[in-house]
Amino acid sequence: MLLDTPVARPTRAIVEPPPAPSSADDTLLSLLARNAATHARRVALRERDLGIWHEYTWRDYLDQVVALAAGLEALGFEPAEPMLVIGDNRARLYFAMLAAAALRGVPAPIYPEVPPEELAHFARERARFAIAEDQEQVDKLLELRARTGAPEYIIYDDPRGLAGYAASGLIDYETVVARGRARLKADPGLAADLIARAGPDDGAVLLHSSGTTGRPKGVLLKHRRVLAAIRNAAAADYFREGEEYVAYLPMAWIGDFVFSVGAAIALRFVVSIPEGQETVLRDLREIAPTLYFASARSWDNLLTRLQVGIDESTPLKRGLVAFFMRLAIDIERRRLAGERPRPWWNVLRGLGELVVYGPIKDHLGLGRAHRCYTAGEAIGEDTFLFFRALGLNLKQFYGQTENCALTAAQDDARVRLHTVGRALPGVEIRIDENGEVLIRAESVFDGYVDDPDATARTLVDGWLRTGDAGYLEPDGELVILGRVGEVVHTSAGERFIPNYIENRIKFSQYVRDVAVLGAGRPFLAAIVCIDMEAVGHWAQVRGVAYTSYADLSQKPEVYALVQGVLRHVNGVLPPPLRLRRFVNLHKAFDPDDGEVTRTRKLRRNVIEKRYAQIIDAIYAGASEIEFEARITYETGESGVLRRRLTIMDVGA
Amino acid sequence: MFYRLAGVRHTSYAADRALWPVPVDRWQIRALLALAVGAPFLLPDLYLTSYLLPWLVWSTAALGLNLLMGWAGQIHLGYAAVMAIGAYGAIHAVRLGIPFELALLGSGLLSAAIGLVFGFAALRVKGLYLAISTLAMQYLVDWIISHVPAISGGSQATLQAPAFRFLGVPVAGDWSRYYVALAVCVLVTSFLLNVGRTSFGRALAAVREKDFAAAVIGVNAFYFKLMAFWCSSFLGGVSGAVLAFCYYRAVTPEQFNLDVSIQAVAMVIVGGMGSVIGSYLGAALVLLAPIVLNNLVGAFARAAALPLHQEVLSHIPLILYGVLIVGFLLFEPLGLAKVYANIRNYFLVWPFRHARH
Repeated sequence: MLLDTPVARPTRAIVEPPPAPSSADDTLLSLLARNAATHARRVALRERDLGIWHEYTWRDYLDQVVALAAGLEALGFEPAEPMLVIGDNRARLYFAMLAAAALRGVPAPIYPEVPPEELAHFARERARFAIAEDQEQVDKLLELRARTGAPEYIIYDDPRGLAGYAASGLIDYETVVARGRARLKADPGLAADLIARAGPDDGAVLLHSSGTTGRPKGVLLKHRRVLAAIRNAAAADYFREGEEYVAYLPMAWIGDFVFSVGAAIALRFVVSIPEGQETVLRDLREIAPTLYFASARSWDNLLTRLQVGIDESTPLKRGLVAFFMRLAIDIERRRLAGERPRPWWNVLRGLGELVVYGPIKDHLGLGRAHRCYTAGEAIGEDTFLFFRALGLNLKQFYGQTENCALTAAQDDARVRLHTVGRALPGVEIRIDENGEVLIRAESVFDGYVDDPDATARTLVDGWLRTGDAGYLEPDGELVILGRVGEVVHTSAGERFIPNYIENRIKFSQYVRDVAVLGAGRPFLAAIVCIDMEAVGHWAQVRGVAYTSYADLSQKPEVYALVQGVLRHVNGVLPPPLRLRRFVNLHKAFDPDDGEVTRTRKLRRNVIEKRYAQIIDAIYAGASEIEFEARITYETGESGVLRRRLTIMDVGA
Repeated sequence: MFYRLAGVRHTSYAADRALWPVPVDRWQIRALLALAVGAPFLLPDLYLTSYLLPWLVWSTAALGLNLLMGWAGQIHLGYAAVMAIGAYGAIHAVRLGIPFELALLGSGLLSAAIGLVFGFAALRVKGLYLAISTLAMQYLVDWIISHVPAISGGSQATLQAPAFRFLGVPVAGDWSRYYVALAVCVLVTSFLLNVGRTSFGRALAAVREKDFAAAVIGVNAFYFKLMAFWCSSFLGGVSGAVLAFCYYRAVTPEQFNLDVSIQAVAMVIVGGMGSVIGSYLGAALVLLAPIVLNNLVGAFARAAALPLHQEVLSHIPLILYGVLIVGFLLFEPLGLAKVYANIRNYFLVWPFRHARH
């Protein structure tokens, strides 16, 4: 069974001593000033604009932050005040976050694709200040202001399209910086004062937990928490000084803040910011990072793209790739199983490095990546093995917003597929009697903003209740099964975690999303969203004509394909938990429809409500259903679409 | 397979326009330059003087003609005449005691001036008509050189290239002549490589694609056509002088007759219009293929003991050579440069079929 906990398993991880405690003035700002003093001319940030990389040295970085802080203060920015940051990754938005932190304010980054009506929730603190990337975000903030009266000041980075705006309080970034520079010139002591103002117990950033179970909750992380987490990770050789890093993850996600701002300043990374979200993969090759962090989903996408590219390649190239990849995956599998390395492995791998692995890594831009990480959700076996076989040191780690993203990580000697690694130095892990993972560390946060009830439920006797169900292996490696709240029972009383099964199904490149049903039902069933790119290519190769996603999903050939995937997964599931029936959905789950979160986690209650008709049909034994789909257009209008969906038995 | 592009990025637009942004290309260029400089030490003198040296000089000449044909799109069937003007001009200049370096420039300027006069024809006529008018130049120059004793020393005469010094060093042996040719070749190559990145090169391309369309977007077709003739003739004159001083060391009018013009055009077309590497490859094929084919056919005839008449034996290589040229035009009209580009792309996108993203 998936959840049973043998008695022999330990409930506490071995605790390694934390690295040296932080000093009194230990903040991101003081570290930034230290970098500007010791490595003034070294490149700190690189930002791609119209094809050219613009570089900021550590001195430029500090200059911008201090000038902006001085300018913000002149506008009336006060301590403890939130500063909304909305947009894709841009150097100036990072400067603004640090400038707000310097004024002892709270930078609050928001996902750029949050629709205007949800924005009010993130801005509930009635922030007076906001910085926006471009016209699109400015429009949203203006809409928010029309409704709530805040934010009063909207600072924008990219002035394109904003020339005709007459709204009050709309200020160009340059103007604020110019005002700040004038103040700095008039008052020579101001710069030093601004750098020293914030203390370790001031907030460094306000983020929101992803909120699979409800509305996102505000998580305020203090400087000392963030720095403690980074030092814990650095002590475990999780990253080193001077890494090349690419900042492309959403700024509102803890991973980006810890890597692109926290660790980047503490350990002097060179952070490169791609031109835009669409060019990330292309720009990655120009950056050639030494440290790369992507979600399991991104690694899957990368693998899918690679496979599509190789399938289209010429026979010789395709044959060579197939031969060497099979070889490398086989070697990697044996190595992970603990087999002793054989001399001929190295010979063949060396040849493969020249012919296949090296060129592929170069195409991905990961030719220099010494440390590759994934976190957030379980990674597929195929994906994990493929990239490790390529020679990338891909490892998993585990963390949550409440603990600055860094709780446990795999080390080189103990890379395994089902574990997320061992506790970082300075982090204590305990498993309670319900199987929930508890954490105690310097890096754990101090409570949710304006939500004492949730804080009381989460922080108990100094331990952080993660809400994750898991167990510790005898050697201290942590295994995460899923959310404690996700454990459900079928009507026959079988316990299971849908997410665990879903992840296994999603390991197939053909499945983009899947929802496993079965809580309170007689058996398990699945709603499958196919992957357009992979299945589309698959159909093209086999001459299956299709017009749209909806059309493709309903092809009998595609049903047979998905059936095969589900049968494969059924093979590793205990008989009562095998999937019996499934339906291919006419569309992919979309965060704009509320079916998944921005980080692509399923919102089960939304799915169960919206597709109740389909679910009932599945359990009623129907072989087909006429479904009325409500769709929301990008303009916010909604319409109704009628779709005939096939329901199929998985079979043996 | 060998190309690594990760980490190639630019912090300015100037860097973005670099000639060889790909590290492997830079290494190739360095290796080629090292080989070229080290060739006298590596090759027997026979190969140096009878293969490598003429190849370099003819590549230089082909580059000059390519500027006109490939970049500016104007045909020229009198290129040998342009080279002849340079050759005779330089020899007479050095005989008059002018230093070789100045004579080289002077020969270029002389060719450019005379070439420019015929270039004016290009302003009025295009295509076949231009071909005929440049052909007229070929015949006129040939006739004048052989019939004016002051230039050629008489119709049957051979004019010896006098001894000369280059940058203060006496150029006497095979090695020093090779290095002079190499230096000129490298200079001309770097000029041509950079032409494509300048406004001049872009204007030429506009004129090539359609002269009146170029005029519509504000490119002075009149000026740039003349500039193209001027530059190309200058380079032709210089390469003619180098050919005379470093390779032939004595000139007769027959060395620059119509056949030679046709060969130069063949080098450009077979090599690849508008391509620097194509000029090298084209010159190599046109110069070396007859020799290689001759040796191959001879060896084959001897090995198979074919009872072929000497007459037949000497014509087979010519037939094969023709087949080779026609084959290239049929199967790769864009020339050897395109063949090279295809091979390069094959490895550039390895192991994929085409560029990703």
